[in-house]
Amino acid sequence: MDIIQILLNGIVLGSLYACIAIGFSLVWGVLNIINMLHGSFIILGGYLAFFAWQYSHINPIFLLPIIATLLFGLGYLLQYFFINKVVMSPVLTTLTLTFGLDMILYNLMTVFFTATPRRVTLDLGSLNLGDMYLPVDRLMGMGLALLLTGLLFLVMRASKIGRAIVAVRMDRQAATLMGIRVNNVYAITFGIGAFMAGAAGVIFSLVFPITTNLTGTFLGKAFVICVIGGLGSVPGALIGGIALGLIESFAGYTIGPQNATTVGFVLMLFLLIVRPTGLVGVKGYE
Amino acid sequence: MEMTLKRSLTVAAVAMGMAMAGSMSVAAADDDTLVIGAPLALTGGLADEGKKQKDVWKLWLDKINAAGGIDVAGKKMQVKFVEYDYQTDGKRAGQLAEKLITDDGVDVLMAPFGSGHTKIIAAVAERYQVPMLACVASSVSVYDQGFKYLFGTLAPNTGMTESMVEFFKEKNPDLKKVAVYGRDDVFPKSMATALANSAETGGLDVVYNELYAVGTMDHSAAISAIKSADPDWVYMTGYTQDLILGRKQLADMGVSAPIVTMVTGPAYREFTEGLGKLADGITSSTWWHHSTAYTDAVGAWSSTADFYEDFTAAYKSDPDYIAASCAAAADVLVNAVKVAGSKDKQAVRDALAATDILTFYGPIDFGDNGMNQGREMPIIQVQGEDIKVLYPESIVNADMKMIK
Repeated sequence: MDIIQILLNGIVLGSLYACIAIGFSLVWGVLNIINMLHGSFIILGGYLAFFAWQYSHINPIFLLPIIATLLFGLGYLLQYFFINKVVMSPVLTTLTLTFGLDMILYNLMTVFFTATPRRVTLDLGSLNLGDMYLPVDRLMGMGLALLLTGLLFLVMRASKIGRAIVAVRMDRQAATLMGIRVNNVYAITFGIGAFMAGAAGVIFSLVFPITTNLTGTFLGKAFVICVIGGLGSVPGALIGGIALGLIESFAGYTIGPQNATTVGFVLMLFLLIVRPTGLVGVKGYE
Repeated sequence: MEMTLKRSLTVAAVAMGMAMAGSMSVAAADDDTLVIGAPLALTGGLADEGKKQKDVWKLWLDKINAAGGIDVAGKKMQVKFVEYDYQTDGKRAGQLAEKLITDDGVDVLMAPFGSGHTKIIAAVAERYQVPMLACVASSVSVYDQGFKYLFGTLAPNTGMTESMVEFFKEKNPDLKKVAVYGRDDVFPKSMATALANSAETGGLDVVYNELYAVGTMDHSAAISAIKSADPDWVYMTGYTQDLILGRKQLADMGVSAPIVTMVTGPAYREFTEGLGKLADGITSSTWWHHSTAYTDAVGAWSSTADFYEDFTAAYKSDPDYIAASCAAAADVLVNAVKVAGSKDKQAVRDALAATDILTFYGPIDFGDNGMNQGREMPIIQVQGEDIKVLYPESIVNADMKMIK
């Protein structure tokens, strides 16, 4: 019976992990930018959800579209006015820029919100199936994570902007010649990354305590998931997330929680050596 | 090339000269000012705790300044704090402690939050023979290194666990099985280890005993295992965010132990606020709670109630043990300077070692290893909206309730 509980824990947690990584993977895959702001974007989304809930008592889930759109705007502006200036430089330059921007955002949040952990105390209980328990908020989070992932997949596949993003990723010059406004596409892509981070933040505000202390943890998870799943594809982030959730869940149960996170990092190193594209990554984006 | 080398050497020499002149002028600045150096974690993982220290010292300093300074050997001495943010980076904490001593010429050091970082800075203070007060470090491993300049206002955390095991056994005669789950970090780990040992010595069955890594985002695997072990008592240690998540997951996964202890969860208001109803019934041990009442105290505040009043007026929130212990550490320091009659480091160190006073925070009497020996620490429980004191007998204000 325990095995099924561990399996379910892993899948639910993994879906939440996927939520962390999707925006990060998109930005890394398309723009070749390692977005150090990603963890802070998630926490910003979480704080906005918390304060909106505290003020209005509306379930943050209903506020998700508004908060995620605000984050989209922030991401778009940051890319358009700052990061686009150096987007063609080597990856270290953009990494340093986003690192600097992250320090500003992180410290602003610490100053204004303090690092006190805050939680939306809507305890929704658990679904009880025999001996097994499935927390309702996590299930909702999982549902939303899967829904958003599916939507993003569709956007990338079937919409004009999605095709433009893919085109720019494949060949920037050819895309320019075809009349695609590359700077705009970059800003939209970064905006979508921030949108997904904001959405993840809203979902997390129901499940985890929100504090600026977690930004680094989220960023670390996003890295591991992208390497496991592979860059450049939406399903990659989903599979990477679920794989990490399952690994941590089983490792935590069998060899102890002390080593569970280490196992994830060891797997990341192993995959970097034997399969740099990740489990389902696209060749050329490793 | 030669020119460049020569030029840079000249520049370096001038810079060094200036720096030396600077530090000399600071060191010789004035004997009328007691300079306290404090490397603080104002950003990064411990930003919240760092800010608490900064806030309470500001309150304390305002109080001292309002009185025109401190009386030392018949003269008024001013007090000044020099603080730096070490960004919750242990290595940087050590470097900044060194800078405070060598560049800023501080007379004493105050340690930052946590046993881990205190340990790092204590080594620097010892090297330069600068007295240091640690107000938020309670692991014996910090104090058993033979340091002569280190003094801590918290009591050893092992004493807490033995009395807790005995107390719970008395309150719940059915208590047989305990699950211990601690954060793999200096203080939470030492508490978890101490509790597991005390529980075994006390005849309880430790059915689960694991640590979780720093940066763990989720406890479902561990809590599933705890649930299988069906304990009567769950004892979890960690920082507030870990404990809030842990408590929520215990409830979500259907763990129904009648006693849940979280260290030091309920000692902080953000723990109860972050949990809402789920906080009800959680027990903890703590070094101090504002419901303890000491009067006729030495220092900036003559009673616990005075301190509580000033603190809540200034910050619109309840002080926790960090605030109290750190303010008391500053009181102890001032007392030592007064006894020594000067800010001479050796004399202050000797006066600190001989300290035996009552502050608003409680009695302070440093043992041979520099730790405060004079404390009997309360066991507290969240009951509804309030924090009640269950132990020791002298300050009890409620009976223990089991979680249903």
